[in-house]
Amino acid sequence: MIITVILGFWMAWNIGANDVANSMGTAVGAKAITPKQAAVIAGVMNFTGAYFFGKSVTETIRKGILNVNMIHDPWIIVYGSLAALLAASIWLIFATYNGLPVSTTHSIIGGVVGYGLVYAGASIVDWGKLAQVVLSWILSPIFGAVVAFFVFKAVRRSILVRKDPVKSARYWAPFWIGLAFVVIGTMFYIKVLHGESLFHGVLVYGIPTGIVIFVLSYLLIRLHFRPNDPYLGVESIFRKVQVVTSAYVALAHGSNDVANAVGPIAAAYAVITMGLSGMEVPIPRWILAMGGLGIAIGIFMYGYKVMETVGKKITELTNTRGFSIDFSAATVILVASWLGMPISTTHTVVGAVVGVGLARGIKAINTSILKDIVISWFVTVPVAAAISAVIFKALLLLG
Amino acid sequence: MQVWTKLFAKSPFKPLIKHADVVLETVETLEKALQAWYDGNYEEMDKLAVEVDRLEDVADRIKEEIRDSLSSKLMMAVAREDVLIYLHMQDKVADAAEDTAKWLLVKRPEKISPEIKDLILEMGRESIKAAKLVYEAIVQMDRVIESGFSEGEINREYEIIRQIESVENKIDSLDTRLMQIVFENAGGMEWSEGFYILNIARTLSNISDKAKDSAERIRLMMNK
Repeated sequence: MIITVILGFWMAWNIGANDVANSMGTAVGAKAITPKQAAVIAGVMNFTGAYFFGKSVTETIRKGILNVNMIHDPWIIVYGSLAALLAASIWLIFATYNGLPVSTTHSIIGGVVGYGLVYAGASIVDWGKLAQVVLSWILSPIFGAVVAFFVFKAVRRSILVRKDPVKSARYWAPFWIGLAFVVIGTMFYIKVLHGESLFHGVLVYGIPTGIVIFVLSYLLIRLHFRPNDPYLGVESIFRKVQVVTSAYVALAHGSNDVANAVGPIAAAYAVITMGLSGMEVPIPRWILAMGGLGIAIGIFMYGYKVMETVGKKITELTNTRGFSIDFSAATVILVASWLGMPISTTHTVVGAVVGVGLARGIKAINTSILKDIVISWFVTVPVAAAISAVIFKALLLLG
Repeated sequence: MQVWTKLFAKSPFKPLIKHADVVLETVETLEKALQAWYDGNYEEMDKLAVEVDRLEDVADRIKEEIRDSLSSKLMMAVAREDVLIYLHMQDKVADAAEDTAKWLLVKRPEKISPEIKDLILEMGRESIKAAKLVYEAIVQMDRVIESGFSEGEINREYEIIRQIESVENKIDSLDTRLMQIVFENAGGMEWSEGFYILNIARTLSNISDKAKDSAERIRLMMNK
């Protein structure tokens, strides 16, 4: 058990150290925030996202992929979780070393499938659920792209092409921040207060939160001086907006990716403390908190360095574009978390970047990365599953 | 992390602006050489003509670098062919300036009438205008994209393109006048003299021709 916790914590640390840079990269690259600020925002927001919104996805990884009722020995789940975490880590280290854009989420799912197959064959895997999850991997970047395409078009239409772009930005920038809070408020109602009706959530929590935030940010976002160039003015307004949307991304990231680390821990913990019936009770909050903490520590120890590098490398991104990417990706990821779909944050953000590119918003995007991503969809699960299977077998023989 | 370093490619516009800057410097140096030629200061002219040649080389190198960086895998706000053809045309502006410089070095214009010399000098001055406008046009193109192709910025770009076209028109008519003068006085002129003058005029009008071709490409970039 202790080994599983350590491994899970290490996984969380890794997510904080590496994946967070992917979610905060656009904000740091567009010079909206410094790497240090990004680390603080990412740390706090990832923890918040993990703690409040991380449950559904964690449940999917804990008991959605495998039919746990078919497992009769609690130790199988402990060994299996261990094997899945180890396999995912090994594959991630290998892939990162070779520069492949592999997803932590995809690896951990592969790992879970791997030990399941070795233990009970194909029948234990809930193929329908797995197909849904895999479909969500393909859809999330596409949705990211579609949303970002329209968000950027909307920014263009409502602000950039106007006679007085700065004046329009003064109204529209708070609108977008407000809209982000409509989503967050609704999520809070459904996930934390366990509200039932989505309509009720949007109406009673989402929209009022959005309006309050709209008014607040309208009062807060003021230009102290108006630059001669209207686009510089718009960008400097959106630089402030991006501080908020990057926090939004970090929240979404925490809500989805914490599961990669704590899903297996939660599975192991439940069976050790309560036996097989433990799988029926919901995961305790402290496990989510621990995952969030692991991510935060990873960010503070190493992640901010990665962000520094990323920030230096992305020099061509402006704030209106960075905002469109952040807002779209975060919204798609949060919705996925709400549905309990473990998706790849990085791939969704890449999708959003391409969406803005398709709207002629970015001067040059290297599309060769897209091929790498599509390849990674097909390679990651089988490879991580194979590694996990081998480790699981070895653990069974040793244990 | 690698995702980001791979995903965002460098915008080709900053290097294009840099290239336009060198092209403009080439044409400006040529105009100085023409002035020295006009004043009969041949030593100075030779030095400046060599400088024109050197600047053209610099422009060529930047052109190569931009070409190498524009992989076909890039997704850009403007079509890749448009950028490449634009670059080619912009580079031809410097090429034409170099051609003029070469002709200047061929012989000394002792017997050329002041009327012809005036015309050639004026063509040189107009060429600078064309090169300056090309520089402005590519800077403005960057802004057009930054603004998300807003109507106002596009119109400003059209205005620059119109100015380039009118400069080209003016140089064209100067060129025609020069040809007429040469042929009217053909009787009292050595053939080498006429050949020399006409070639200087032809290469000079080439500068604005290529400037116009560059402008045409920018027009295409703004099409949806």
